[in-house]
Amino acid sequence: MGLTISITSISEEDMAMSNTNHPFWVIVNKEIADYVRSWRFIILIVIIALTCMGSLYTALTNIREAIKPNDPDGAFLFLKLFTVSDGTLPSFVVFISFLGPLLGISLGFDAINSEQNKGTLSRILSQPIHRDYLINAKFVAALIVIGIMLFVLGFLVMGFGLIAIGIPPTAEEFMRVVFFLIVSLFYVAFWLNLSIFFSIRFKQAATSALACVAIWLFFSVFYNMIVNLVGKALSPSAWASDYQVIAYQRFMLNLLRFAPSELFNEATMTLLMPSVRSLGPLTMEQVHGAIPSPLPLGQSLLVVWPQLTGLIAATVVCFGLSYVSFMRKEVRSR
Amino acid sequence: MRTNHLNLLLVLVLVLFVMSTRANGAEKNVMLYTPYTQIAVPPGESINYSVDVINNSDEVKNASILVEGMPRGWKYEMKAGGWTVSQISVLPGEKKNFSLKVDVPFKVNKGTYHFTVTAPGVVELPLTVTVSEQGTYQTDFTTKQPNMQGNSKSTFNFSATLKNQTADQQLYALMAEAPRGWNVTFRVGGKQATSAQVEANATENISIDITPSATVQAGSYKIPIHATTSSTSADIELEVVITGSYDIELTTPRGLLSTDITAGDTKRIDLVVRNNGSAELKDVQLSASKPVDWEVTFEPSKIEKMTAGSTTNVTATIKASKKALPGDYVTKMTAKTPEVNTTAEFRISVRTPMIYGWLGVLIIVIVLGGVYYLFRKYGRR
Repeated sequence: MGLTISITSISEEDMAMSNTNHPFWVIVNKEIADYVRSWRFIILIVIIALTCMGSLYTALTNIREAIKPNDPDGAFLFLKLFTVSDGTLPSFVVFISFLGPLLGISLGFDAINSEQNKGTLSRILSQPIHRDYLINAKFVAALIVIGIMLFVLGFLVMGFGLIAIGIPPTAEEFMRVVFFLIVSLFYVAFWLNLSIFFSIRFKQAATSALACVAIWLFFSVFYNMIVNLVGKALSPSAWASDYQVIAYQRFMLNLLRFAPSELFNEATMTLLMPSVRSLGPLTMEQVHGAIPSPLPLGQSLLVVWPQLTGLIAATVVCFGLSYVSFMRKEVRSR
Repeated sequence: MRTNHLNLLLVLVLVLFVMSTRANGAEKNVMLYTPYTQIAVPPGESINYSVDVINNSDEVKNASILVEGMPRGWKYEMKAGGWTVSQISVLPGEKKNFSLKVDVPFKVNKGTYHFTVTAPGVVELPLTVTVSEQGTYQTDFTTKQPNMQGNSKSTFNFSATLKNQTADQQLYALMAEAPRGWNVTFRVGGKQATSAQVEANATENISIDITPSATVQAGSYKIPIHATTSSTSADIELEVVITGSYDIELTTPRGLLSTDITAGDTKRIDLVVRNNGSAELKDVQLSASKPVDWEVTFEPSKIEKMTAGSTTNVTATIKASKKALPGDYVTKMTAKTPEVNTTAEFRISVRTPMIYGWLGVLIIVIVLGGVYYLFRKYGRR
């Protein structure tokens, strides 16, 4: 790890191969190379690839049972590859929502502090480059690695699924999968930015890793418990009016939506199940006269647009935080 | 000359005397007797006379029996002891009975007819038959109810009686002269048939089902029905009065029954109300069964009068609820008169208003702008 070789020492062959020799992209290329060769990335990608193939296998063995008559999602058989499970192994979506944060954290938790500890940070910054190139390049490189990995996995699932079930996806199904992968990318990017932020704040890599994992555990395990506790305390009485009950349900759902995983789950569920027309409690007035039918992709996107906005905004805010704290950071040579 | 006349008269008187004494003597010996000597019957009837031959002499009399003066076309038959007889022998002081069956034909004029049963030279029995009405030799095809009324979708069920008044069994071909597109079926004994076999002097009930064509106009239609054989035929004329049919259609000019709408927005749909029936429609009311909080108004909401085959354009304005979910809703629109109604189901795809989408975009742009500000502030030190 670390940019121990100076930028000028990059061979002319590399320069000719990369279509740009801008210093920023040089750092990005180097970072990507570092990531791909690092053992933790290889271990993680093997774990994720294996679990995803396992979930694909369960989906393929259960896809026959997943087809039900009068199912408005029946026309979207291909999307079921990503969502169907028989309970023994979680589906692809669940694996991504569970392992995605871990991937982001593992790529970012020591981005800055390990370089600082090794003393390479001051060396790089002594090069004639802008200071923010480093933090930007770290982020972009990790994002490219994650993006390639997610798209490869998603397209692998599609490819194997195509071989196994023999039904090609429609253009809309394909676009839905692509949007699902983009949403997953943002979700992982959020955790990546959070861990980069911690890697700037904390001097020890272990501390930042633990802090990240703690937040991840908090949101994926404890947050639900806390919300349930709050919910019990606030729950309306048995004689409450319908509007009170609905208002309570909405409030609880909005509390849950502070967790990025909840936003991600709602977004992916709506994207991969076109029949989902609304998230949250519905009144009878809204349901009356409605007929179960899949939504077009644009409408599905609009349904989850608040979730996507929240996810993207949280990601960008985390990046902004890490950017500011890195720029204000005092970097000394050891 | 005078004596000649006198002689002739004398001979005549003598002859007459001899003849009368002979007749008187025979009458004493053999008599023919039947109780009903004058009978009134309708045409086509058979009369059975029971005639007794009485022998009052003291010797066996052998009398040949003849029927004389039988009107033309009448048939008769004499039977005794199971045989056809023409001569009967009677023991002294006894009587013998034979039956005389006379068939009165159908084709006979009203009036009184005479004929005589005789044992030639011995005795005569004059008989009289009064035919009570004018007889025919033809088929009688009647119906009690030759006129029916109904709308264009009803089936008219006539029942007719076919009476064969000829002397022979007849196989009648049944035919109807219905307008094109109409359907006429005959039922004989409950089964569909195109012909009916009727025994001589028997009747058969024939039911006639008439279905008008689907596009029939209101009015009265005469349908002649023929029952014909090679020798005889009969006709009746049925009349079917079609009252106007009521049929209404509600659709759009292009037949497209789906549209899309943004939640909270209004949308105008052009509708076409079409009177497909043959009668005029009055007071066509337009209404809609819609999801809660939706509004559907029609312009006009009521059509005063629609002549047969005419169309009227109506504009429906749909206002979707602000809380409508994205996806498909069903709205039923109904055009209704007391006579008939029709419903068109509209599938309305609701879209989410883009405003929230732009709001999300705005939030993201603000955040990105914040990052850009950070870039500007810290980036190029």
